[in-house]
Amino acid sequence: MLGSVYALVGMGLTLVWGVVGIVNIAHGEFVMLGAYFAFWAFSLIHLNPLLSTAFSIPVFFFFGIMIHKRIMERLIKAQELAALILTFGMSILIWNLAQFLWTNTYRSVPYLTGNFPFFGLVLGKSKTVSFGLAVGITIALFTFLKYSKLGKGIRATSQNSEVALVCGINTMKMRSLTFGMGVGLAGAAGAIVSLQWVIFPQMGGSYISKAFAIVILGGLGNIHGALAGGLIIGVLESLITQYLSAKMAQIIPSMTILIILLLRPTGLFRK
Amino acid sequence: MRRRFLENLTLMSHSFERNRIWLGITILMAFLISIPFFASDYWVTLLVLILIYTVYAAGWNLFSGLTGYTNFGLAWFIGVGGYVSTLLIADYGFFWLFAWPIGALFTSIISIGVGYILLRIKGVYFAISMVALTEGTRELFGTEYLTPITHGGKGVPFVAGIRLPTLYWSILLLAFIAIIICYKITSSKFGLRLMAIREDEQAAETLGVHTTRDKIIAFILSAFFVGLAGAIHFTYQNYIDPTFAFNIQLTLTPIVMTLFGGVGTVFGPVIGATLFTFIHEILWAELTVLYMAIFGGILMVLVLFFPQGLLGWMKEKGIVPRIRKI
Amino acid sequence: MEPILKIDDVVKKFGEVVALDHCSFDIEPGSITGLIGPNGAGKTTLFNLITGVLQPDSGHIYLKGEEITGRKPYEVARKGVGRTYQIIRIFPKMTLLENLIVVGKGKERKVVERAMELLHLVKLFDKKDDYASDLSFGQQKLLSLAQVLMLDAELVLLDEPAAGINPTLQNELMALIHKLNDEGKTFIIVEHDMNVIMNHCQNAIALNYGQKIAEGSCSVIQQDERLLEHYFGR
Repeated sequence: MLGSVYALVGMGLTLVWGVVGIVNIAHGEFVMLGAYFAFWAFSLIHLNPLLSTAFSIPVFFFFGIMIHKRIMERLIKAQELAALILTFGMSILIWNLAQFLWTNTYRSVPYLTGNFPFFGLVLGKSKTVSFGLAVGITIALFTFLKYSKLGKGIRATSQNSEVALVCGINTMKMRSLTFGMGVGLAGAAGAIVSLQWVIFPQMGGSYISKAFAIVILGGLGNIHGALAGGLIIGVLESLITQYLSAKMAQIIPSMTILIILLLRPTGLFRK
Repeated sequence: MRRRFLENLTLMSHSFERNRIWLGITILMAFLISIPFFASDYWVTLLVLILIYTVYAAGWNLFSGLTGYTNFGLAWFIGVGGYVSTLLIADYGFFWLFAWPIGALFTSIISIGVGYILLRIKGVYFAISMVALTEGTRELFGTEYLTPITHGGKGVPFVAGIRLPTLYWSILLLAFIAIIICYKITSSKFGLRLMAIREDEQAAETLGVHTTRDKIIAFILSAFFVGLAGAIHFTYQNYIDPTFAFNIQLTLTPIVMTLFGGVGTVFGPVIGATLFTFIHEILWAELTVLYMAIFGGILMVLVLFFPQGLLGWMKEKGIVPRIRKI
Repeated sequence: MEPILKIDDVVKKFGEVVALDHCSFDIEPGSITGLIGPNGAGKTTLFNLITGVLQPDSGHIYLKGEEITGRKPYEVARKGVGRTYQIIRIFPKMTLLENLIVVGKGKERKVVERAMELLHLVKLFDKKDDYASDLSFGQQKLLSLAQVLMLDAELVLLDEPAAGINPTLQNELMALIHKLNDEGKTFIIVEHDMNVIMNHCQNAIALNYGQKIAEGSCSVIQQDERLLEHYFGR
């Protein structure tokens, strides 16, 4: 269950990384923002978190596009350190602003409590719905990328941006759109997260490290890989927490990254 | 005859300049050395921090600034150096004068292995792997398996039996040496080879530059200085724990300072560290939480508009000569 | 006389694509050999294999009788092989002087002296403190050649040295090459401009689809031009 959310976050990151070429360290912060979005929507206007999740997608999508256009595009390309530091600064800016505005108190969205009895298994209501939402979004994403015109454009740009440009695809727009999508995915993931766990300004941190592990595991820019990676990481985490300890489970993202980078830097899955 | 006279004049004015620079340095050092005698503890402490971060920044710049391999794992050096030194002092009763260098040596020796393994990875991936190393080590130190040695999350409160002035002079000496080494390396063939690695690693290799060896040497040097400064840092804090020691902020602050001053220059880290600490002091007093947010914003502005840093900008504008030595 | 370079049954594949298909030839010391063939014939791949940037899947490469197959680029370079690239690769944010000093080995003073000598040779001395990125295209080519000379390479691999520069500079460049050849350096030159090959090379090797299809002195190759036309479809 957890893995599905991780997968969403990971897919967003890998999408941006692969198509736009930017490593968005602030990606985790967008998850946090998504969670707070759902929280405030619930608290202030009693918006059903399921709807917030749906709404978060377009909201964060446009937010992402704006950020890309105004900020990212100013970067002189091919400056990896610059992009890293830029997004890092953005991440610091966002979570500290959040801390300032909303304080450190843990919040939660008590919407779906209780369980579904399901053939003898007891499934937490919120967990199941979250899973369902995540799956739904994932399916929508894949369908979009495979069949829609924009989706094809994005895939083309990710494979070879120069050729795409020559074919008449507006690569800059593609990049902005993709960035928006990445952010949208993160925001949606955040909204889903708010259903299950407490939220606080620094939560982005753990998501970003897992997202990196997922992206590297699945292969850069490989969305299917990220999906698989997310599930793998989620499962690994549960297993290790259960059999060893929660603390040991915290090492997973770092270990994964190091191991994969050393043994199979292109990721486990082929594009 | 006249030409001779002019030549001699030029030579003399050059040596005047040279002597003037030496004089300036001597006066500055004398001033800095004497500070504990007349300044309050507040100022000495502030200077200690500035000097620690100067070494961090210079150490980072020595490797990353020259080779272009962005080392996002500076906190790893700091943490390892800090822990080894602290544990030696706290648990085994070592004298700080010995614990510090041992901590630094340990860090640089392990960095040989780390460098050998991780420096094959290029670009962004290298940066990420160093972060992963740092995060992983932090978590590792907190696990039940290592806690018997490292005291885990409880941390290690300790007293090292060193007075503030002595600490100050130690870090002052370290910073002085570190900067001299940076100066020597940057204007040496070794430094040029590191820069060639940054410019075009493959071309450098086909021109005979032994990239693996040179990268690792720079890495080890960086590890040594940063590890040593880390040891001093935690002695100063009288406390260490994994979150504190392997904190990403310890990696990023020196990087930002170097960015601010000018990556790849000799004095950029010094300028950056000094200015930044002063600005930090001012902002912190006023704004606390919002301070970090502003910090993030400053980072973004820096990267977008002043990627070459203050010194780099000054070199570009001609305010400062465009030579490697600075 | 022992060949300075021996390519022995070298195969290199990139996935399914066979870049070099059982290629073999020898290069005599002191010769200027042209390496010709259409794009994608494997010429640059060959250079990459010789200089250690890539490793062959099978086969051997010998330099002055010593096996260098699979050695690291810097080892091969120090053994006396220098190369330039099709797309010029110099160090843009370093000065010309630094671009040369960085290659040199030994005492600093001697290295600097040699660097200055070479800058005089390629007539770029007055720009020694300029950044390499400030140079024009042709000047960068000269700098790149100077770097190779700094290496004191006996075997020099030039990847399209004449491309993209005006005829005057071309002549100067080729004159320089001949001068160095007289001093004992061996050259292998990849070129598309057949005039350059015919006018300056003693021998030529023709590749197509990774296979050697012709080899011999330029006069022989010239007679074979009909054959070449057939392959290159000119």
